Amino acid sequence: MVNLVRNENMKLSHSISTWIMMGIVVLIIIIGGLLTRFTGPEAKAPKGDWKAELKIQNQAYKQDLTNPAMPKMVKDGSVKGLQTNEYRLKNDIQPVQGNSLWGFVEGMGGVISLIALFAIVMGGKIVANEFSEGTIKLLLIRPSKRWKILLSKYISVVGYTLLMLLVLFIVSFLLGGILFSFSGASTPFLINSSGKITEVNMIVHIMELYGLKSINLIMMVTLAFMISTVFRNSSMATGIGVFLLTVGNVITMFLTKYSWSKYILFANTDLNQYISGDPLVKGMTMKFSIIVLVAYFIIFNIISYIGFTKRDIAV
Amino acid sequence: MEGKTIVQIKNVTKKIGKKVIIDELTFDVHSGEVFGFLGPNGAGKTTTIKMLLGLMSMTKGEMYIDGFNIEKDFEKAIAKVGGIIENPDLYKYLTGYQNLLHFWRMYPDIKRERIDEVIKIVGLEKRIHDKIKTYSLGMRQRLGVAQALLNSPKLLVLDEPTNGLDPAGIHELRNHLRTLAREENIAVIVSSHLLSEMELMCDRVGIIQGGKLVRIQDMREMLEDEADSIVALTVTPINSAKTYLESLSGKYNPKINDKEIEILENMENIPDLVEKLVGQGIKIYGVRKVQQSLEKKFLEMTGGNEIA
Repeated sequence: MVNLVRNENMKLSHSISTWIMMGIVVLIIIIGGLLTRFTGPEAKAPKGDWKAELKIQNQAYKQDLTNPAMPKMVKDGSVKGLQTNEYRLKNDIQPVQGNSLWGFVEGMGGVISLIALFAIVMGGKIVANEFSEGTIKLLLIRPSKRWKILLSKYISVVGYTLLMLLVLFIVSFLLGGILFSFSGASTPFLINSSGKITEVNMIVHIMELYGLKSINLIMMVTLAFMISTVFRNSSMATGIGVFLLTVGNVITMFLTKYSWSKYILFANTDLNQYISGDPLVKGMTMKFSIIVLVAYFIIFNIISYIGFTKRDIAV
Repeated sequence: MEGKTIVQIKNVTKKIGKKVIIDELTFDVHSGEVFGFLGPNGAGKTTTIKMLLGLMSMTKGEMYIDGFNIEKDFEKAIAKVGGIIENPDLYKYLTGYQNLLHFWRMYPDIKRERIDEVIKIVGLEKRIHDKIKTYSLGMRQRLGVAQALLNSPKLLVLDEPTNGLDPAGIHELRNHLRTLAREENIAVIVSSHLLSEMELMCDRVGIIQGGKLVRIQDMREMLEDEADSIVALTVTPINSAKTYLESLSGKYNPKINDKEIEILENMENIPDLVEKLVGQGIKIYGVRKVQQSLEKKFLEMTGGNEIA
């Protein structure tokens, strides 16, 4: 099994497209860093008057709270915001800015969507290309079970995706430090859980951010991998994967008036909806979404397994 | 000398939908022999080979390699098999060595040195660290043979191995297979639709048509056990020789072919016939046995060039 994964890694690492993807990720971070540093409103904003800003913000929160027209949800948010801001003022903890080390790392979290796209491309190619190149015939006449070969491909794609995430984190951290100084590295992240405020390391917060975004990523890779395995066609797998990645959420939005829409994969991929705001469809809970996601994950993998192990190799 | 039975194919049938692709196929292949699998395009050669290598499932029947059932005991059965199916499709963006390393990693207990051994066997030492996309077809074919030999197989299966090879390449491959069968006592199965190739390469030939095994034929028997041979005589004057032969026996059925005259006769009777011709004042410049080619036999057996 270890050898099979090494084989898949060798094939991925000698494929030029893998490194082009990696290069694009690094390039975007650099461009994003330079743009944030030298242009844009935050570059010019003077530092140091954050306390005054927070006080103005608190005024707005207080107004919301006294306004009877405001929905309960907004009021809850305002209460939390107020508590956090007061904690900041009391303990002299500056909020994270876009033009600071952690602000930049957090902002660059958006690149994960691009990594998801690249992961779909990899997942879409890794099985289908063995068929289109004809190499599948030489691959499957070895004393390895087919499911092990399939699993090694899956592990390899997920591994390279994690590597891209790691590159994203390290490069954006280093670049953020170089451009906006490393001195902000110790800034804590404040968690407000019903009035009780705790300071945690920013890395924990960033990991949470990456983790939540990676759910969508893993689901899309698994889907592309399944299409790649069932249809044995990489363009189809990549095409459908990218299509669903970009419009899946929009389509789900249109369908939210139907109660069955809560079973759609895309209604559940964003777990952040339970942390900050209203669920997409009424009656959805975090637990429900996790069950739906796990169910989709298992179904996709079972279909991949059957598509790969039970069928004749016709090429 | 008959070797150990390596391949057993028992009543194998393959249906795709309602179409019968392979119909009750049964044959054995022994170690040390080159078994030719001959048939027109679409007869079911590749399907049979894919079933033997576990790439396709069987609808009915069983296949054993070295005693192991290919479906129930796949890993053990396939461990001692090397194969090339159609073209040797390798990873073009990897080097020759990386390709071999890739397949070597898939065997649990083959020494790493074996990679260098097979490279030496096929003579690719100089180009082994170049990417496959820079290889000629002949070199790819050789690397294909190298990967098939990695696990020191007891059975080598080659599907249409000479496709796209030039005559020198075919010659080389033929010698390779012969040597492997004889010296390493490997059983070799080669499929082809090219009859002339099979004549030169194989010890036995199974002829398949429309998914059915029409006949299994030992090559030497096939070529030698002829009661009557075609004999070509170079004579002058050719026309009177023809008339005379016709008057001797109806069975000769003489045909003038350029400067030769071809008749059908048992070789044992040829000296007498030569004497008779000389007695008639006919000058003889040459007597030659024309080998009846497998092609003719093949066409007889399969009833022409019909594609199943």
